[in-house]
Amino acid sequence: MNNDFYEEYEVFSKRNQMAPFQHQFSLLAPNKEMAMVMAKENFLRREPCVNIWVVKKSDISSLGEEERVILNRLDNKSYRETKGYGYLKKKWREYEQEQFTEKNLLK
Amino acid sequence: MLEMAQSLTEEEKYHRFMERIEAGERIEADDWMPDDYREALIRLISMHAVSEIMGALPEKEWVPKAPTLHRKLAIMAKVQDEMGHGQLLLRVAEDLMKPLGRNREDILKDLFSGKLKFHNVFHMKAPTWGDAGIIAWLVDGAAIITQSMSLNSSYGPYARALQRICAEEVFHAQHGESIILALTEGTEEQKKMIQTSLTEWWPALLMFFGPRSKENVGKSHVNKNIKYKIRTKTNEDLRQEFFNKYVPRIQSIGLKIPDETIHFNEEKGEWIYEQPDWDEFKKIVTGHGPMSKERLELRTTSYENTAWVRDALANRNVKEAY
Amino acid sequence: MVFNSKEELMENQKAYEATKSLLYQLADDDFLIAYRGSEWLGLAPHIEEDVAFSSINQDTMGHAVMYFQLLEELGEGKADDLSHLRNPREFRNAVILEMKNGSGTYLEKPDYDWAFAVVRNLFYDYAKTIRLQSLKESSYKPLAYMAQRILSEEYYHLMHWELWFKQLMDSTPEARQRMEAAIERVWDDFDGVLTLGPKKEDMESCQLIGGEKELKDQWLKRVQSIFEDVNYTIDRTPGMKNGNGRKGEHTEDLDQALSILSEVYRMDPVTNW
Repeated sequence: MNNDFYEEYEVFSKRNQMAPFQHQFSLLAPNKEMAMVMAKENFLRREPCVNIWVVKKSDISSLGEEERVILNRLDNKSYRETKGYGYLKKKWREYEQEQFTEKNLLK
Repeated sequence: MLEMAQSLTEEEKYHRFMERIEAGERIEADDWMPDDYREALIRLISMHAVSEIMGALPEKEWVPKAPTLHRKLAIMAKVQDEMGHGQLLLRVAEDLMKPLGRNREDILKDLFSGKLKFHNVFHMKAPTWGDAGIIAWLVDGAAIITQSMSLNSSYGPYARALQRICAEEVFHAQHGESIILALTEGTEEQKKMIQTSLTEWWPALLMFFGPRSKENVGKSHVNKNIKYKIRTKTNEDLRQEFFNKYVPRIQSIGLKIPDETIHFNEEKGEWIYEQPDWDEFKKIVTGHGPMSKERLELRTTSYENTAWVRDALANRNVKEAY
Repeated sequence: MVFNSKEELMENQKAYEATKSLLYQLADDDFLIAYRGSEWLGLAPHIEEDVAFSSINQDTMGHAVMYFQLLEELGEGKADDLSHLRNPREFRNAVILEMKNGSGTYLEKPDYDWAFAVVRNLFYDYAKTIRLQSLKESSYKPLAYMAQRILSEEYYHLMHWELWFKQLMDSTPEARQRMEAAIERVWDDFDGVLTLGPKKEDMESCQLIGGEKELKDQWLKRVQSIFEDVNYTIDRTPGMKNGNGRKGEHTEDLDQALSILSEVYRMDPVTNW
C-alpha cells in the first residue's frame, strides 16, 4: 500500500525573472501538493528561486535510447545558421571601401 | 530503422555499451545496460545513500547540544544536507531498481534487516562535541575525496547527484574546520576533547576508504567499478590522497596522530602507516560495530512509528482515484 | 507612542520592562518549538519531509536568535547566555511548546507522534503569524522592523503545515483518530501560547502589541476556518492545563530540554566554541 505514497515527481525551477525553467532533480511524494512543498527545501535551500514546477514523472514523454537516433542530423544545413552567411560581412566591407576609392571620391 | 536498432543481440548491445563507456559517454537511467553494471551501481549507490542517512544519526546527537546558537543552526543545516544527500542518492538508486520492481521501501527494508550495509564510520560512537568536529572535518573530508573521484562517473545521474553533493560538502568541511580550530585554540579542556576525538576516530578514518586489496577482507568490487568507469581510483589511492591533504594540517594545529610510524616515504612516493585492524572493519560493516544496533533501531523505530502517515497519504491517493 | 531606538525605550521604564517581557516570550516560544522540531531530524515519516521540516526549524531557531539579540541590546546579557544559562523558571515560553514529541528520546526509542508535530506546529504558526502582523505596528520600532522580516518566512511554514493537517485529517480513519487526539491535547494547553502574561496591560497600553483578546479571537477564527474545511468541531475553549509558562510555570519536559540544549555550553560558558 505504501507504494502509492512514493510517486515520482520531477522538479524544475526558475532562478530569476528572465531565466528559463531548469531541471533540478526528482523526489518522491504522495501527491503534487506535497511534491511542491518538498521541492523548495530539498533542492533550493541556497540558490535564489522565483518559481517552481513539479511534474509527475509518468506525465513526461522522452526518447528511449534506441529512439534517440531520430536526433541525428547531417552537417549540411549551414543555410539555417548565421555561419552559412559569413561571406556577407566581407561583401559589405568591400562595398564600403569602394565608396572611398579615388574614383568615387572624385565624382 | 528503429526496429533495426532494437534487433541487436545482447552481445552486440554489450559491445556497443562498452564502446560508449570507453568513449567517455554518460549512461542514463533508461539506457540499456548490462546486468552487472546495474548491479554494481545499485550496490554502490544504495550503500552510499543509506550511509548518508545513517550518517546523519551520530551527528544528529549533537544538533541540540551544539554549544552556541550559531553552532546549533550550522549543525542543523549540515545534518539536513546529509539527509538531502541521502534523498538525492536514493532517487538515483531507485531509478536503477525500478526495472527490477523494487523501490525505496525495499531499500529501507534491506537496511533494517542488515542486508544493505552502511559505511563503517557511522557505526562509531560520537560521545563528545569534539566528535561532531572530527566528523565534519575529517569524515566529510574523506567523503569529499571519494566522491570527487566519481564526479566523472560513467553513470550520468550519479555524477549529477555528486555534483550537488560536493558543492555542499565544501560548506561542511568549513563548518568542521571552524569547530576544530575553536577547540584547538581554546582551553586545555577543549584541546583535550579534540585530541581524544582524533585518537578515537583515526582507525575508523583509515578504514573509511576500504582495504588496500581484497586479500585484506575478501571480495571487493573495486576492479569492476574501475572497468565500468564508475570510479577511477583504488582505495589506497584515495587513502594516500587523504594523507596528503590532512596529515600536514592535523599536525600544524598541534594535534597528534595516534600512529608513531606514519611518515611520507620519498622513495616510494607514498605514506607509510600502521594498518587498522581489518578484522574489526569486517565486524563493523557487517553490523557488529559499537553503535550498529542502536542506530539501526533508531531508524527502524522511527520508520515503523510513522508508517501510519505513509499509509494515510497512500490511501488518500487511492480514494481520490475513484 | 513611538520608540525609535533602545535609548528612547529605556527612558520609559514601563515600556522597557514590558518590551523585555514580551521579547522573552517571543524568543523562548521559538527556541523551544524549534528545539523539539530539531529532535525530529532524521526521524520524519519521509526523507523529503525530513529536509523540509529541518528548514522550518532552522528558520524558527533563527527567529529566536533575532529576539535574543534584541534582548542582548537591551542589556539583558549575551544571547548565548540567555538561551543556555537561564534557570527553567525564568523561561517564558508556553508549556505546550516545551513538551516532548512523544515517549523515548531523540537518541533512544523515539516513539514520536507525527500528528502532535503537525497540530502543534500549525496552531503555533497561526498564532505566531497573527502576533507578527500585530508586531509590525509595534511602538518599539526595532521590533516592528524585525517582525516584518520574520513574517516573510512564515508563508512557507503555514503552507507546509496546513497541507499536512488537511491531508491527514482527510485520509484514513486511523490518521483521523490520531489527528483528533493531537488536536485535543494541543487545544487543552494552547491558551498558554495565546496569553501575554502578567504584563499584558503594559504591553497593550504602551502599544507594543495588540490586545490579548483581539489576537486570541483572530486565532480562533483562523483555526475555526481550517476546522470547517476538514469537518471538525471542538466544543470548548483552549486551556492551560499544564500551567502558564508566561508566569514561569513549566513541566519537567522543559528541564529535560534545557539540560540537553546547554550540556556543552555549560562546560565553559566563557570560552569560544
